[in-house]
Amino acid sequence: MKQLEGRVALVTGASRGLGCAIALAFAREGAALSLCARAAGPLEAVAAECRSPGAEVLAVAADVALAADRERLVSLTLDRFGRVDVLVNNASTLGPTPLPLLADLDPGAFEEVVRVNLVAPFALTRALVGGMLLRGTGLVVNVSSDAAVNGYAGWGAYSAAKAGLDGLTRVWAAELAGTGVTAVSADPGDMDTEMHRAALPDDDPLGLARPEDVAESFVRLAAAPSLAAEAALALDAPAARLEAASLRKVAS
Amino acid sequence: MIALTGPALPPLPPALRAAGPPERRGLRRDEVRLLVVDRGAAEVRHTRFRRLGDFLGSGDLLVVNTSRVLPAGVHAVRESGEALQLRPCIRRRGRWDALAVQAGPPFANVALTPGEVLRAGEHELTVLGRRPDIPLLWQLRVSPADLDLVLRHGEPIRYSYVPEPVALDRYQTVYASRPGSAEAPSAGRPLSWAMLRELRAGGVALADLVLHTGLSSFQDDDFDAEHHLFEEWFEVGPRTARAVAAARRVVAVGTTVVRALESSAGADGRVRATTGWTSLAIGPARPPCVVDALLTGLHEPQASHFDLLRAFVPEPLLRRAYAEAVEHGYLWHEFGDSMLIV
Repeated sequence: MKQLEGRVALVTGASRGLGCAIALAFAREGAALSLCARAAGPLEAVAAECRSPGAEVLAVAADVALAADRERLVSLTLDRFGRVDVLVNNASTLGPTPLPLLADLDPGAFEEVVRVNLVAPFALTRALVGGMLLRGTGLVVNVSSDAAVNGYAGWGAYSAAKAGLDGLTRVWAAELAGTGVTAVSADPGDMDTEMHRAALPDDDPLGLARPEDVAESFVRLAAAPSLAAEAALALDAPAARLEAASLRKVAS
Repeated sequence: MIALTGPALPPLPPALRAAGPPERRGLRRDEVRLLVVDRGAAEVRHTRFRRLGDFLGSGDLLVVNTSRVLPAGVHAVRESGEALQLRPCIRRRGRWDALAVQAGPPFANVALTPGEVLRAGEHELTVLGRRPDIPLLWQLRVSPADLDLVLRHGEPIRYSYVPEPVALDRYQTVYASRPGSAEAPSAGRPLSWAMLRELRAGGVALADLVLHTGLSSFQDDDFDAEHHLFEEWFEVGPRTARAVAAARRVVAVGTTVVRALESSAGADGRVRATTGWTSLAIGPARPPCVVDALLTGLHEPQASHFDLLRAFVPEPLLRRAYAEAVEHGYLWHEFGDSMLIV
């Protein structure tokens, strides 16, 4: 029995990296998918691959940083599927690379990172949580990072936005307690992706996790959201935050 | 035609038409005013929307319309290059019944030519002809991707009392879901999630349905006064049908909910899961058999909205309510204050 049969998932940043891996994993497990990325071509390619195990897939080329694009994404998704059970806020940007020091970072570039990595996840959650609350079920997964917790030179805008995202997730979790809707932050750890290569071009890919392996943890989270909430509590971790090791535990 | 049993209601002072969302007036969505018409006591009371819970309790079922508003004022261009705005009133697969108006205020009607092809971005719409029963509506052939067309090329429909554009987000309820309404189902706009959770905690049950609204005006006063009925798409699911059967009192949030629930009722008065088109008009000649109480906005008495209200409230009490609303400076229309009929 496929783990996500009958579930509808919306994944942002689905054209490559972790988002693409999550989309494929969800498709194999029977989920219906709404996938979003800015570039239509690569997005369509991933959508086509997701359809081959028979999944129903809607592909929407959209920039989550833009309100009108978000409205189009949400509206088309709800028109097609009527609901979203799992929202994976994965789309994210590093900002300028090679990563500049904060003292050299343009405030406009800082704002753009915050718009994509923090404002967009908030706005998409806000647009979809109403339906989840009416049905008494739903899961929001915000993709986090070690950079949310630790300060690394050069990672300023990204760190700030991801730390903000974790804070946002904590408040969502507090407000959603008892409603049947779960919100968690999931920190996948260092992965062999384009984003990682752009940030740390000298890293040996063999030392990095494969996005496909991390995606399995997301499948388990989506299949049993209450386990996610319990796991976050049980590990005495900061509320609603699952780190790579605990994500793997959830997957096993 | 509406036949009022007494003298015509005085015209609404223009200043009482809400020109923009309450947020522009420094209010949260749930801080608008609430006029309460208590039929049992034949009383009219004045309070704030936040106090809605004072009038509802255990056994009550609040039913909301989760239809999401579209930016249904679609920018299109004629073959001549002339810009116009298409307002789809009814959308079916491959076909629109739409109003064609000027691209800017006062948005007067524009006559199209059967056979002409209109463009909105890369989308084409072909004019088939006027709809026979509602001649101001044009039947247009559109592609199946018409929702994408509307989302990319439309802006919210706006009437003259709202002089500045308002972002689409400001029209949505907090639970808006399946897209399709041409204009906001605005009775539910003041409801916040904070209030919905308080109401639930107080024992009020919540159920939802979908009814996609069409246009409230055809941009022609005489034509509007003829009150042409058109069909609206609605969906009432089995969970909501069960909730209605179990409820002691059914409180409809909006006249759209009244139309959907009453259209789902069989001859026995029981609501069954139903989807389809409805042009049911509720009024004194066809009173409600499912809905017990109504939360609604304030709309000008000439509209068919008033006819529906007369099915809930004896006319003298309704007139008194309207007179007091004007006296107390309540605001009208989609961004205005609310009325609860219990």
